[in-house]
Amino acid sequence: MSLETLNERLKKFVINGQEDAAQKTASEILNAGVDPLEVIEMSLSSAMITVGEKFEKGEYFLPDLMSAAAAMQAATHVLTAEMKEESKEKLKAKKIGRVVVGTVSGDIHDIGKNILALLLEANRFDTYDLGKDVDSMKFIEKAAEVQADIIALSALMTTTKPAQKEVIEFLNEMRLGDRYIVMVGGAPTSKEWAEEIGADGWAETAEQGVKLAQTLIRDR
Amino acid sequence: MVPPWRINEVLDRAETGPICLEKDFELKVLLPKLQDVIKEYEIKFDPESIVPSDDSIADDVWKAALELYLEVGTYCTSTHRRILFDESEIREAMKNFPGKFVLGYGKDSRELFHRKIEDERRPFCLFSPDITCDEELFVPMSMAYLQEPLADGVCAPILEEIEGRSIKAGAPSEIKGSVAHAMMFREAARRVGRPGVFLQSVGTAQTDAAQIAASNPIWGERLTDGRFVASISELKVDFSLLNKMVHFHQYGCFVGALTGPILGGYCGGAEGTAIVGTAYHIQGLMVNQAHYQNYFPFHIKQMHNTTRELLWGISMTYQALARNTPLISLSNGFAAAGPCTPMVLYEAAAHGLVSVVSGANLWEIAVARNKYKNRATPMEAKMACEVGCGVAESGIKRPEANELAKRIVSKYEREIAEAPLGKTFPECYDTRKIAPTDDYTNLYKKVKEGLRGLGVPFIY
Repeated sequence: MSLETLNERLKKFVINGQEDAAQKTASEILNAGVDPLEVIEMSLSSAMITVGEKFEKGEYFLPDLMSAAAAMQAATHVLTAEMKEESKEKLKAKKIGRVVVGTVSGDIHDIGKNILALLLEANRFDTYDLGKDVDSMKFIEKAAEVQADIIALSALMTTTKPAQKEVIEFLNEMRLGDRYIVMVGGAPTSKEWAEEIGADGWAETAEQGVKLAQTLIRDR
Repeated sequence: MVPPWRINEVLDRAETGPICLEKDFELKVLLPKLQDVIKEYEIKFDPESIVPSDDSIADDVWKAALELYLEVGTYCTSTHRRILFDESEIREAMKNFPGKFVLGYGKDSRELFHRKIEDERRPFCLFSPDITCDEELFVPMSMAYLQEPLADGVCAPILEEIEGRSIKAGAPSEIKGSVAHAMMFREAARRVGRPGVFLQSVGTAQTDAAQIAASNPIWGERLTDGRFVASISELKVDFSLLNKMVHFHQYGCFVGALTGPILGGYCGGAEGTAIVGTAYHIQGLMVNQAHYQNYFPFHIKQMHNTTRELLWGISMTYQALARNTPLISLSNGFAAAGPCTPMVLYEAAAHGLVSVVSGANLWEIAVARNKYKNRATPMEAKMACEVGCGVAESGIKRPEANELAKRIVSKYEREIAEAPLGKTFPECYDTRKIAPTDDYTNLYKKVKEGLRGLGVPFIY
């Protein structure tokens, strides 16, 4: 089988969320002596962009997104296992930025946040998902620990969105307001709310969240 | 026997059921089984059949939901265990479910009951703005909803601030806000002359502590009122939710299960949403031991449920429940457009029509994607409920309802993504006299006449 065919197959398996097949094909490509960095950049990134587009168009739902992400992770694991340090550094350098993401304190809803985390990861962000009902100070501690560029705060309830404001207040009072970009989102939030609390950006959907993160990093 | 029957069974199973990581519950337990039952029962959304007339499809949705729930159960995120029931327990609970309750008290009390497909009895109509409001608008907005003649019960708007201070979940401000919510809502009910009307509260209270704080038979939530126990998407609960369940039952008020499966989320498409939605009703009965359910499936991005695929799902869930259970459920509309627009009134009409002919009671209606403060009025709920009552009393059947639904949906479905935000409550109502503006009254009449022209039946 030609290398081109193998790459196409890998891409297809990731788009279709076929984890085992993606893993096996990644091994075959490695055995053929191809530079794994090239495969990650050409096949996997391109596959996940297609997956993101399908989600945006409504052709894919969350389960499809999760399967594709799992297939991509399985293939990446194989491809990076024996990667040279130099290539690993190159791969790291290709990342757009680091994002600490979570649902704010008091809020137990996480589907929107989960989608955002998956799409960010698929779009070459290093993503640190703190989960749901996250204490405001935890966002700041984690951002400092991983030297994050962005803190992304999700809230699904009107009574939990004040916690988004609290994180920004903490950052400002700790004189860290300029160090991190803060993005907010979630059902009860709006552009006006983001402006009111001093967030750097607001996104209505996870896909818009990725585009916003890309723009905010670029314009930083 | 009236719920609850076995609170300790639920609590014990939350502590002793099979251990499972939350991620595994979603990916390895729920998703594969859901995909299996969709295939096994060949459930398929048809955009031309918003209100299917084939009973066997409804029965298949029920069988799929029962099979799903029996295997998957409910995940408790506090204990990382699954709460499971066997079929005989579910059958026992259903067999002993009364199928009707009297809500509220005195002259203002109303019967809430299980409805059948094409049932000619008027649905129970609960009017609710489902949105936050400014503190100073809470009483006038509540009164506007409470004074509506078709409102058998009312739910108040939600406070974001109390005494000028932001309400934050878990903070003392939430308890203050929730108590104020309960007190002001009761005052509003007395002011419109309906002191005994069924009140569903307290939307301002997110946490268990704030809900418990508002239980008081004199100034707060009474035994004749209703309270909600929500769920976590999908088919999950936690101790905070179970705390509410225990408290509400021990306090003695009515308990509703609040569930909104997400189209585009773990449910996948319309088929999965209809099945999970039906399974949620079993969860509501078994875990929350609820007297009734509020059901609001919605689209993950657009936050509405008035498209063909979601209306189809609503119809399927209600037909499945109507034919196979004695359960009581209120169908909660979510419109994309905002107040004082023709679109929101068409969306409300479609939701009321499809829900009622399929066997639901009504909970109407969240508008403007359920997102913008002060952006809801009773006019949207009135349209949904006038249509719902008209559909019931006229005795129209599913095939005719399907044709009507398609005609109404075609009036707005292309505009969903760019739906107009409309106006706020103070822009639509004289907030001192608590009356709609002439603009909105005239628009309402015009749209109503248009719907009548399409063949939609009204009671007056």
